[in-house]
Amino acid sequence: MSLVWLIVIPLLGGVFAWPLGRAYPLLTRIVCLASLGLDLVIALPLLHGAVPQQGNWLAAFNAPWIPAFGMSFRLGLDGMSWLLTVLTLLLGMFSIVVSWREIEDGVGFFHANLMWSLAGTIGVFLALDLFLFFYFWELMLVPMYFVIAIWGHENRRRAAIKFFLFTQGSGLLILISILALAFLHERQTGVLSFDYFALLGTQPGGTFGFLVMLGLFIAFVVKLAGFPVHIWLPETHTEAPTAGSVILASILLKTGAYGLLRFVVPLVPVAAHEIAPVALWLGVASIFYGAVLAYGQSDFKKLIAYTSISHMGFILIGVFVINNLAWQGVVFLLIAHGVSTGALFIIVGSVQHRLHTRDLGKMGGMWTDMPKLSSFGTFFILAAMGLPGLGNFVGEFLILRGTYAVAPEVAIAAAVGLIPAALYSLIAIQRAFHGPADASRVQPDFGVRENAMMLALAAAIIWLGVYPQPILNVAAPALQNLTAPPQ
Amino acid sequence: MNAAAPLMILAGAVAVLLAAIAIRRSYFLSAAITSAGLLSALGVIPSVIGAHTSPGLFVFNGESLGFIGLILAASFVILVIAYPYWNGCTKLPREEFLLLLLLATLGATALAAANNFVTLFLGLETMTLAMIGMIAYPRYRGQAEEAGLKYLVLSGMSSAFVLFGIGLIELSCGSLDFSAALSAAGSPMMIAGLAMLGVGAGFKLSVVPFHFWVPDIYAGAPAPSGAYVAVIAKIAVLAVLIRVMSLPGAEMSSGVTDAMTVVAILSMLVGNLLALMQDNLKRVLGYSSIAHLGYLLVAILAVGAIARVAVVFYLVTYAITMAGAFGVVSVLSDADAPRDADRIADLRGMFWTRPGLAAVMTLMLLSLAGIPPAIGFIAKMYIMAAGIHTELWVLIGTMVASSVIGLFYYLNIIIVMSQKPDEHRAVSRISLPGRLTMAAVSFAVVGFGIAPQPLIALLKTVFG
Repeated sequence: MSLVWLIVIPLLGGVFAWPLGRAYPLLTRIVCLASLGLDLVIALPLLHGAVPQQGNWLAAFNAPWIPAFGMSFRLGLDGMSWLLTVLTLLLGMFSIVVSWREIEDGVGFFHANLMWSLAGTIGVFLALDLFLFFYFWELMLVPMYFVIAIWGHENRRRAAIKFFLFTQGSGLLILISILALAFLHERQTGVLSFDYFALLGTQPGGTFGFLVMLGLFIAFVVKLAGFPVHIWLPETHTEAPTAGSVILASILLKTGAYGLLRFVVPLVPVAAHEIAPVALWLGVASIFYGAVLAYGQSDFKKLIAYTSISHMGFILIGVFVINNLAWQGVVFLLIAHGVSTGALFIIVGSVQHRLHTRDLGKMGGMWTDMPKLSSFGTFFILAAMGLPGLGNFVGEFLILRGTYAVAPEVAIAAAVGLIPAALYSLIAIQRAFHGPADASRVQPDFGVRENAMMLALAAAIIWLGVYPQPILNVAAPALQNLTAPPQ
Repeated sequence: MNAAAPLMILAGAVAVLLAAIAIRRSYFLSAAITSAGLLSALGVIPSVIGAHTSPGLFVFNGESLGFIGLILAASFVILVIAYPYWNGCTKLPREEFLLLLLLATLGATALAAANNFVTLFLGLETMTLAMIGMIAYPRYRGQAEEAGLKYLVLSGMSSAFVLFGIGLIELSCGSLDFSAALSAAGSPMMIAGLAMLGVGAGFKLSVVPFHFWVPDIYAGAPAPSGAYVAVIAKIAVLAVLIRVMSLPGAEMSSGVTDAMTVVAILSMLVGNLLALMQDNLKRVLGYSSIAHLGYLLVAILAVGAIARVAVVFYLVTYAITMAGAFGVVSVLSDADAPRDADRIADLRGMFWTRPGLAAVMTLMLLSLAGIPPAIGFIAKMYIMAAGIHTELWVLIGTMVASSVIGLFYYLNIIIVMSQKPDEHRAVSRISLPGRLTMAAVSFAVVGFGIAPQPLIALLKTVFG
């Protein structure tokens, strides 16, 4: 039951926050923070839970939903979904704090959308009925669309529509694939069901299996923003308000990787092996493409957005190497990237709030007048680059290590991709923070609220970097779920 | 109780309403009589649905009574939308609109239960003629008069096709009964007759290539009449079509299936593509209804138990959603004004001036686009399930592509509503019935979108 509360509490938080917004904006923010905090209190102890007869699952819930189609409201939590849920909740809280000063119009509706999007995302991470998963998948998009379309920057309209068309259109492919899978299962067993565990036994082969896989693969890669279906990402991430960018980059991208791991690999394993070589090279292409384009950007926010494409290339490779070591790296990198990119978007957001520009050409020399902002910025750019000792390094290393065992040429190519990463990182630091300061610029440095957020995120990324074992321990049993389906 | 009770009650209500208007003009009283007629006709359906009657001119089985119930319920919703719309009207007597609505509903129910070409034509014409009156009702609006005249001419032509088709069928099989006509072998004359009937049906359903009248008439008609044309007329014609197709001997030849496939594909694409270029909300809804009929044809072309319920589920969804969308326009509009508040620009800034109504409109648009948590999502899933089950891959592919196109214009309206309003326009208060209807429609859209099982179960018992 606590799994249901994990989804319902943010939904209700949004419902209550909306009408409060006009008269009591502060109360809205507090209600949202409190409901996410409450969720966190529910989620944390679940780590020590266990479901009888299902070794690696920590918690489960099952109730009939649409019996006419054999669809049930089935939720389940394992280590991987626990980690991603907790990440969602934490970064959700950061995105509320970061909007404290930035959002002053329509506070209620903004926060309602934020909360609903988070609730949908948590639903995606918990759903173990394929149609329920799709329901949540679609549900998380609409509120995010509003966040971008109403509170975004100059080109918000275009960006929001692009975002929605790409993700919604590819979502329909998921629907077709799961319906086809469920009907195949009905033909095999006589029972129409969308249950994850039931469909694990379907194992479609041949062309049919490949097409089912392809529908899911395309949709998830679109979400992950892998090359060449990444087109929506740079504009969307750039135009969204800071809180929207944080959620998009740190959480929503992860649902694509989660979908690949949770659904594509176990449900259609044969076809997943067939597509793997393509996926690996798409991953390499993403790494280079993202890095090279990031290097060429003069818009600070867009630069960060392109680095996400590059990092998601590693994720794509890691998923389709199909071995446990790389998957450990994938889960790890998902979390580390969530933290580091979330922090970077917060920093870029506060730069824009102060200078009213995202143009790197108009920055420079910020270290002299905003030393705290600049040092945190440098720190997180280095973390995102994969500096040893910080979180992202561990994830990338594990992925490369796992890849080398299976496809050394891919591992080598991906590792070479770290060189342009260093280039764009250093050029960003150079142009934004160093050089002569603009004398006329009088802007305050980070205040208490921002410093506290940054310190927390920095502590997290250092902890991930120097002591990764606890995270790996949580993820490991969950990853066994993917290769050894339970009864 | 006689199974024809719903029709008799409606006919009685028409007579009572006529007498009431003749004795004393009272808008409220007329509305009360109309709604009493609709609701009591709806109320007797559960008690007559089990009664066994042998089919004659009309057939009253679970299926036709189910469609009648749907028509009555939808008419009631439209009545509740129409009541506040005309309430403030000072330029016209308002009572006769309700009379026309009741008459049209009588025609629609007769059509839904028709089992003979005579009753089919009777129902069709009663409905159509009353609707012409409803479309052209505000005679001080040039647009409405134009729309009424267009509908008169075009539907007269389509009725001529239907009548000619009926004549040819009667000539070739010697009977006006549906089942007799179906059991007669496909002589050329019979095929010609059925094709002409198909043209008539295509016109009423406004599928491509018989769709040219839709935008002008939707835009010219006052919002409640537009809702009526969009919802009731289509349910009634589809009811007869679906019932006939389930009769023995109605198996479609591959030629018919191919033709319908082409019509479905064109309707989906043309409807959605043309909707992209509109700046009038009622026109957008018109083109969108063309596309939705295309989706419905996918379910009609699919076979099996899922497809049967899918058609009706989609029809219910379409009825609720269209009524809701037209309802928003009607709530915003003033019947005395020379036009409705139906330009997309009129909605600008609605999220800031009328957040509640904007939320309702957003829900309706999400439902039309097929996005959760609105009921349209489940309906779209249902149709896709039916199509995939029958392996209609081309149609499913077109449906996906055209839904993505459709998103453009639905989202565009939402974006316009979310823009900051230019100046502070005076915001009139929405009447209580208007508020309640909008709340009820939204509740249905979200409620059945989250928990569709009760609706599916009901439709399965009635139609399954």
